[in-house]
Amino acid sequence: MAAVPEDMAVSSRRPRFAEALAGEGRAWLFVGKSVLASCLAAWLAMWLHLEQPSTTMITVAIVMHPHSGMVLAKSFYRAIGTVIGSLGGLALLCLFPQQRELFLFSMSLWVALCAGGAMLYRNFMAYGFVLAGYTAAIVALPVVSHPLDVFDSALMRVSEVLLGVFVAGVVSDAVFPERLRDLLRQSARGQFARFIDFARDSTGGAIPRAEMEQAYLRFVRSAVQLEDLRASVIFEDPEVRVRSARMRLLNQHYMAASTSFQSLHHLINRLQRGGRGAVADALIALYRPLGAALSPAPESRHDPAVLAPRLRACADALPAQADALRAGLPDEPARLEFDTGAVLLRRFAGEILSFTELEAALRKGRVHGNVERVHFRRGNDRAGAAITVLRTFLTMSTLSVFWVVTGWPFGASAMLLATVFSGLFAAAPNPFASTFEMLLGYALGMASAVLVLFWLLPGSDGFAMLAVTIAPFLMIGAYLNTRPRWVSVAGGYAIGFVYLLALKNPMAYDPVRSFNDGLAQLAGVALTGVAFVFVPSVIGSGWQRARQMRRLRQQVVEAATAPLQGLTWRFESVSRDLFQQVVAHTRAGSEESRGLLGWALAVHECGRALIELRTGARDAVLPAPVRAAVAAATAAVAALFDAPDAVRWNRADEAVAGAIEACTRDGAAGLALHPYLHQLRGALRDDASPMAAYLPTAPTEPSHAS
Amino acid sequence: MPREIAFAGVLVPGLFPVFVVSLLLMWLLDTLLGHSGVYRHVWHPPLFRLALFGGLFGLAGLLLLH
Repeated sequence: MAAVPEDMAVSSRRPRFAEALAGEGRAWLFVGKSVLASCLAAWLAMWLHLEQPSTTMITVAIVMHPHSGMVLAKSFYRAIGTVIGSLGGLALLCLFPQQRELFLFSMSLWVALCAGGAMLYRNFMAYGFVLAGYTAAIVALPVVSHPLDVFDSALMRVSEVLLGVFVAGVVSDAVFPERLRDLLRQSARGQFARFIDFARDSTGGAIPRAEMEQAYLRFVRSAVQLEDLRASVIFEDPEVRVRSARMRLLNQHYMAASTSFQSLHHLINRLQRGGRGAVADALIALYRPLGAALSPAPESRHDPAVLAPRLRACADALPAQADALRAGLPDEPARLEFDTGAVLLRRFAGEILSFTELEAALRKGRVHGNVERVHFRRGNDRAGAAITVLRTFLTMSTLSVFWVVTGWPFGASAMLLATVFSGLFAAAPNPFASTFEMLLGYALGMASAVLVLFWLLPGSDGFAMLAVTIAPFLMIGAYLNTRPRWVSVAGGYAIGFVYLLALKNPMAYDPVRSFNDGLAQLAGVALTGVAFVFVPSVIGSGWQRARQMRRLRQQVVEAATAPLQGLTWRFESVSRDLFQQVVAHTRAGSEESRGLLGWALAVHECGRALIELRTGARDAVLPAPVRAAVAAATAAVAALFDAPDAVRWNRADEAVAGAIEACTRDGAAGLALHPYLHQLRGALRDDASPMAAYLPTAPTEPSHAS
Repeated sequence: MPREIAFAGVLVPGLFPVFVVSLLLMWLLDTLLGHSGVYRHVWHPPLFRLALFGGLFGLAGLLLLH
């Protein structure tokens, strides 16, 4: 935290102006690159005698993004989606060349399934699915009345799209690239520094719960964002690709360490609230050397190469210190509680050490050998995807029926646009507003296209004149694209302009066709918006939040039942991804958001404790009754999180107490499981967590006396 | 190598398979170079990669189709 103001102080001589100028420079660089890519794509498409250079230009318009890693990632998936989509379109038209009803039905289904598949993936993988859906439409719909041409159509569309992808990739990566990698490095370093700072500054012991919640929110956000960035940067930078496995592992260590850290602080908080100050003080004393290890000279505070050896020495010394502090405690229950904390602290020290060492290895440059392969698992919402399938299918079949019944000559255009936009907007948080803005942009783009088409272009001659004529209009779209407020409008504008312009060589001027086509396209976009009213998007709705919340709690069930192999990594990433999805749609600081945070923290603490308990029980030699008691406790806690209520809370509490008792009777092997069971019990009885609602109020009965 | 080859009854330019193979080769080479850290000594890595691919594809195309 301390490093930020220093940096700011140096560069804030001319604060706003220089910053604005730099931002503007980047924007115009992007505008230049977009126009260059569009014109280059058009020229190449005409030179190669492709049928519709406009498809190539649309591809460029859709793919272009200020960061080259984004463009490459988008292009990669776009290429795959295009190939699969055209094969799908080809197959559909070959299956039903004569039956238009069957064809339109299966086409609607294909597009709908692709849009649904997109909901199950994040990043640009989702985009590949959308593409597979609408490329099938692009390939098959225009030739639906002469099915024999479908093969040529497919070949042409694929060539056009791939050419566009290629040009956009080359231009954005080779001409003054703005590297996403720098952003990744910056945020990875920020993540490291913030975490180390937070761990150091909390040496004093208790952190207020509210502050802890905020820190937790930041940790989750940065873990998910880092994974998103990494997934795009691997396309841009071969070095990052080589280190990709390590960066994944680093993120996992980070998540594991943050969970342990939180569990530890909750434990200390509980001890202090419960009047067990002596134990809490002993744990804080045990924590202090870790804080000292994290505090070298100020200039190397965030240097993992300096921190790693210090942390290792500290972690090695921990058991001896723990023994010394333990001996100073008065009675056996206090020692047991201390053990619970000491195990957590050792785990945290081990994890922060792995995190730091890996960060040091990554910063040093060349990496050798292999590391454990881990994946950042996502928590997906299947019902949300099903609803998207339904909505897209309804939109498409409504349009199909309308087309078939009225014999509308431009029905294909309307359907095409509906396909494109229902796919693109399925995952948008506020699709209706986005579609409306897109529609506005689309109309503007078409107006510009009409202006160019019937007023400017007929007088121009040759490709240079064409480029000069359309460049200013392309610039409008590209510039709007760099303004976050106008992104939707920009997308609509760019597509609408290029699509209605329908550049060809030689150029065809047909006002009747243009206006009819334009009208049909607008109708297609509008219908997509209407469909979002009838079958609303589930993203961010209360219904989806409630279901995701339930899935978050079920992560504990997963932790209690799933095979242990790789479970920790899976648990840490899925629960964070789910939480990030839910919390993104709640207002910060609201009652709902607080409740959510409480549950997420409880899920993390109990889930991790269960996993550790199960691992411990697996590795230990235990007599059958003890094993059964531990299994019963695990199952009871899982049942509580599955559907929390007071009865299940009681059962879980009793089962955990029973397991503790069974382990005590068993002696040495059973005692090793004590810390996890105690942690579980503590978490269950935490009156500051959501569990408070199920706690029996019996012990403090005479409350009416006050 | 012929100018056009029949692929499942469809005529495909002979350069197309060469292009695909060069892409695969490039991907392999890219990973190796990334591993050995060569890109750190290059002024403009994307341009270098593009040129490398151009050279690879051009060479293969000329050798095979000339």
